Amino acid sequence: MLNLEIITPEKTVVKDEVDMLEATGAEGEFGIMPGHTQFLTTLGIGEIRYTKNGATTHIASSAGLAEVVDDKVTILVDTAESAKDIDIERAKKAMERAEAMLKSIPFDHTEYRMYELALLRAIARIGVASKKL
Amino acid sequence: MATLRDIKRKIGSINSTQTITRTMKMVSASKLRRAQSELEKIKDYALKMEELTGRVIKNMPEDAHPLLAAREEVKKVLIVSVGSDRGLCGGFNTNVALNAENFAKQNRDNYERVGVYLFGRKIRDYLTRRKADIVKDWVDIKKVDQELVDAVAEELIGLYLSGEFDKIYLSYTYFASPVKQEVVFDEFIPIKTPGDVEYIDYICEPERTKIVESLIPRYISTKIYYSLIESQTSEHAARMSAMENATSNCGEMVRYLTLVYNKRRQEGITNEMMDIVGGAEALRGT
Repeated sequence: MLNLEIITPEKTVVKDEVDMLEATGAEGEFGIMPGHTQFLTTLGIGEIRYTKNGATTHIASSAGLAEVVDDKVTILVDTAESAKDIDIERAKKAMERAEAMLKSIPFDHTEYRMYELALLRAIARIGVASKKL
Repeated sequence: MATLRDIKRKIGSINSTQTITRTMKMVSASKLRRAQSELEKIKDYALKMEELTGRVIKNMPEDAHPLLAAREEVKKVLIVSVGSDRGLCGGFNTNVALNAENFAKQNRDNYERVGVYLFGRKIRDYLTRRKADIVKDWVDIKKVDQELVDAVAEELIGLYLSGEFDKIYLSYTYFASPVKQEVVFDEFIPIKTPGDVEYIDYICEPERTKIVESLIPRYISTKIYYSLIESQTSEHAARMSAMENATSNCGEMVRYLTLVYNKRRQEGITNEMMDIVGGAEALRGT
């Protein structure tokens, strides 16, 4: 069993024993199972999945860090929301807005990066929310 | 000498003061509860972040990141002092301000410059009166949020990297319990590697230096966020106990004055009786 903790500045989102964990790291997706070696990575905006007793939970997360030591997984991210907490309408609106802004402002504008991140977050949220069922 | 009516007026005014302090205490108590729950939320994150940072930067060469390397010559020091805008909270602000002032005084000969980067009107007023070198003051902060913290973190990192300051200290009030708050005075930047952490040979993705690069700004803003919230919680707790003291002092004062008032009143009655008796005696004599 893995001892998983997902912590944001707002609250501890998950504190649980899980069988397996998958997340999006800086260099692509990775999976963690019990007995994994000590591992440290930055997390991109994306989805964190963990499996417990055959049931998979999806969580939309923003950028942060993940650490694996002795089957203890600590994930520190800015935000993390599980599927049931996501307002899909709002995420869709955020996505549309971000897309529109990205089209209208030049590539080297300082706000370009900001909207790009907003778009990624919205996509991650929608992805997670659509797996609610 | 105070007349009966003067004493009565005084009792009335103390009573209304007591009503105010009692209300302020209750307001602070409810604010404290809210602040405490906010503190709980961020505390986990801040502690984990601190632990993780300690483990990650352990055994890192000092030149891995400019915010890790201690400068050989420390000439200019900056103190980040966190206080509040409002008073009536006992020694809360004075303690933090005194800490900064004493540090500046003690090290006047060691350093070329000791600057203060402060939060809170009360601390600003105190240090301005004492002619401290104030680099920046943040007053009227409505709400501590990520935006504010990021701005502060960016500015502090800038002040350090540009060579404006060689070392930054962080001073705030730590909330130990509702009745106990302590002023913390710690080295902040450059980040020191804690001694009692074991080195872990991680597999890193991307390489360790890259991770450190993204971790350190995050660590700094988390630490600032955390200290602001700690300070806020402590402020409410300090105000609550200050107001509680004030309320009980008012009660004591009223009790004492009531005693004086009654004594004085009795004295008056006795005097009047003596007058009457004396008069009657005098009449009977004729």
